[in-house]
Amino acid sequence: MVNLTIDGKQISVSKAATIYEAAQEAGIHIPVLCYAKKLLPYGACRVCLVEIEQMKGRLIPSCTTPVSEGMVVTTTSEEIKKVRKTVMEFLLVNHVLDCPVCDKGGECDLQDLAYELDSTSNRFEGEKFDLPTDEVNPLIERNMNRCVLCGKCVRVCDEIVGYGSYSFINRGFETKIATAYDRGLNCEFCGQCLSMCPVGALLPRPFKFKARPWQLKEVDSVCGYCGNGCTVTLGVLGDRVETIRFNDKIGVNDGNLCIRGRFGYSYVNDQERLTKPLVRKDGVLVETDWDEALQVVSDGLLKAQGGQGVGFLSGARLTNEEFYLLKQFAKTVGTENVDHSGGECYKGVTEGLKQTLGVAASTATFPQIDKADVILAIRSDFYETHPVVGMVVNQAIRRNDAKLLIVADKKGKLNKLPGAKTLLSKPGLELDVLNAMAKVILDEGLAQTEGVEGVAEFQASLANFTPEKVAARSGVDAEALQAAARQLASAKQGVVLLAYGLPYQGLNKELATAAANLAILTGIPGREGGGLYLCGEKSNSQGAIDLGILPQNGGLGAQAMLAGASNGKLDALYVVSEDPLSSYPDRDKVAQALEKVPFLVVQDIFLSPTAQLADVVLPAVSFAEKDGTFTNAERRIQRVRPGIPSPGEARSDGAIFSALAGKLGNNLSFTSAAAIFTEIGKDVPAYAAIGFNELGAHGKVWGGETLSPASRKLVAVGGGTTVEGEFQLVVGSALYHSGTVSTKAKGPLAVLSEAYAELGREDAKDLNVAEGDLLKISGNGAEIKLKAKVDNRLPKGVVFVPYHFADAEVNRLYKGEPAVSVKISK
Amino acid sequence: MSEAVETTVDEQDIDLTGANQILDKYVDFHGALMPALQEIQEFYGYIPEPTVHLTAERLNIYTSQIYGVLTFYAQFHLKPRGKYIVRVCMGTACHVKGAGRIAETIKDRLGIVHAETTEDLKFTAEYVACIGACGMAPVIMVNDGTYGSLTVQKTDEVIQKYLKMD
Repeated sequence: MVNLTIDGKQISVSKAATIYEAAQEAGIHIPVLCYAKKLLPYGACRVCLVEIEQMKGRLIPSCTTPVSEGMVVTTTSEEIKKVRKTVMEFLLVNHVLDCPVCDKGGECDLQDLAYELDSTSNRFEGEKFDLPTDEVNPLIERNMNRCVLCGKCVRVCDEIVGYGSYSFINRGFETKIATAYDRGLNCEFCGQCLSMCPVGALLPRPFKFKARPWQLKEVDSVCGYCGNGCTVTLGVLGDRVETIRFNDKIGVNDGNLCIRGRFGYSYVNDQERLTKPLVRKDGVLVETDWDEALQVVSDGLLKAQGGQGVGFLSGARLTNEEFYLLKQFAKTVGTENVDHSGGECYKGVTEGLKQTLGVAASTATFPQIDKADVILAIRSDFYETHPVVGMVVNQAIRRNDAKLLIVADKKGKLNKLPGAKTLLSKPGLELDVLNAMAKVILDEGLAQTEGVEGVAEFQASLANFTPEKVAARSGVDAEALQAAARQLASAKQGVVLLAYGLPYQGLNKELATAAANLAILTGIPGREGGGLYLCGEKSNSQGAIDLGILPQNGGLGAQAMLAGASNGKLDALYVVSEDPLSSYPDRDKVAQALEKVPFLVVQDIFLSPTAQLADVVLPAVSFAEKDGTFTNAERRIQRVRPGIPSPGEARSDGAIFSALAGKLGNNLSFTSAAAIFTEIGKDVPAYAAIGFNELGAHGKVWGGETLSPASRKLVAVGGGTTVEGEFQLVVGSALYHSGTVSTKAKGPLAVLSEAYAELGREDAKDLNVAEGDLLKISGNGAEIKLKAKVDNRLPKGVVFVPYHFADAEVNRLYKGEPAVSVKISK
Repeated sequence: MSEAVETTVDEQDIDLTGANQILDKYVDFHGALMPALQEIQEFYGYIPEPTVHLTAERLNIYTSQIYGVLTFYAQFHLKPRGKYIVRVCMGTACHVKGAGRIAETIKDRLGIVHAETTEDLKFTAEYVACIGACGMAPVIMVNDGTYGSLTVQKTDEVIQKYLKMD
């Protein structure tokens, strides 16, 4: 700690702090433009100048100057004010003063500063910029005439996002922020830059002229897309969510967001939202009231339960409280057939981690990734599945020199991070690579085997996984594999990352087991700093597992339910917040089940392709209308708060379950989400220790920041199988989308509106295919047509297709395998 | 969105072998962006856009950052340059001795002013601050050749000489 005096106040701060940070901690205000908490100090704007007793004669920028013992700082004096005012005059020489039509008005740092410093006149006159605004991209409006060159957008895009869209170009007066070749912005559109901009130079285009900041009601909640669980602040005007605002003061994940979180909100306001229950009459779905709809559903379920039984297929975007009510409702109906997310994709957690570590969750929290020295990312690119975790990885590398190892079947953005070492494997053989790494660690005596069960059996099972053999099968370089294994073993704070979800179903249990084996051998789980992360695809994937939305006590899993529905062994399916027809692997199997099942209830916010087949459709509500909690992929339980009223007669999933259970004679009415949360604690011990009202801005992590594994057992897993054929199709998540719901959101759609088939340049050349050509892709007895996308991400022979788009029917080809052998022609 | 970038048609056909060979030397050489770009410029005569994307990919530096460097330094040229670079000294001595008229003559005969290149890619004009030959003012340089004590007529002769050359 260092002691210093600021404005006569004695302060003691960490020696790493800057004067600005010390002043902030002491509640002393120093104006800034270019400073941001999450960025490295920069010192571009010169607004934060202060006087230091020991450095008399000149003013010192407080945001870049570290504190030192005995420093005496003055933050306001007549002289300082005069200098700051002069700085303002310089800034305002060429800044257009179009505040009346600038969307930033009311929350503009420059405006506030001009007000604070009483800058009413300017002694200088100069040229004003007259640059055209960037009208090319759909989401981020760039008006460089308003720019004050603080460089925050340049820095956030580099330091945190790792994309590098912007740079300062030219020199002197001509200097401005621009993209390469000063073209329109064409990036990931995470919008981190506009969240950083202190002025109106970067603004969210969809929000333009929608509201003044002070008109908005701000509601802190959790993003409804992926398992990252980022804090979003809903900007509500009337009964519409007009924008998503970020919060780096209280937000989880530093207020960082991706395109889905920041721009993917419009679906909650969509005109196509279901507002009334629908019941099928004479073969057609017609609107009805809740009384009739609930009666039809309860009659139908009772009849089915009296016959072959009922099955519940849930999505993973319900709140924990709703999951609890779903379980109670299923019990009321008398069935144990409850499952979520297709029943297979999460088995890496429920079976893979369970059999090795004895827990069914990630072992550490996201901020710990920032402190890791070695990070191993497996299979999917986290920038695509969980973009904000990708940003944490980027920061760990750029700021703390973490080493990144990647075992994957394709390249992604992670591969471009400085020093990233990629073991590019054939699809489906990542498992073999992990096994080989474990073998190297064991054979070279680098393993930590104290207290670890099953070492000898495990080592014996690896005979066929020598680096050389695996190299020959998988295409990975044997020496690189050995080096990666040694590096992981040397980690003091290691991180292993693996994402799961519907498009990553193949070998997920095996991959998670292999990842856990590696983590155990390198001492990762349970050690402070770093951990093993299995990150779910949806906002409450972890909650679904915690709450036990799984087949238990002999109940049927999702796949068994679908099979049962097809062959007359199940009389009713109740689908909640899920569109299995579009998103589950093996569309034909799902379609057959949905068509053949005698009674189908679908509860959703849109009339999805699955809902169109239903006998009863119940209108549910979006995350922006819900009260309750989500548990993110790091086990953090956070409050979801309603920002807008539900459209029409739509009801929350929980309210529907309660009403139906009531009809069947079980009173499930609770006074509030808090009351249900208390009930959850009785079923789920980990939740019992947490009080609903204690869930502050950062939520609460169940099991603690570092979760101690219940066991450390190595479990042998066989290798993957090479997919024969000229091309191997892998499906996955595209950066801009999440599940199927984002395909109803204007922001993500503006950037990516349809599915595509992505090929490497070499394959494209061989096939004589150019970007945008229509390709026929056939395999697994089906054929789909998609536009080609050509770049350098994919190795020869691999084709990638995102799975989000219902009309692309990718799941006619993809049946849950790690890779599908396909033929491609023009 | 696609990462593909629009490039002008004639630039698409540029042979990147030379740039690749240059970059081979710098791939494991941290912080060597400037010398790599200088060599590329020496090879192609300017920095063609495809080589910028190639450099970004191979050296793992953002394209935007490279563009920032290229636009900061006057030494880099993003457009093709003429075979003969005509540097017109605009320093104090030359200015006093009529550099303006010399520049006018070049504009009149070749149709180019500062930073412009003739369509046949033969000449590029550059007005420079001082080339350190004030005793010979007004002075121009054509590539490495220096021509001093110029008049409009003498300038014309110099231009004619180079026009006749390939």
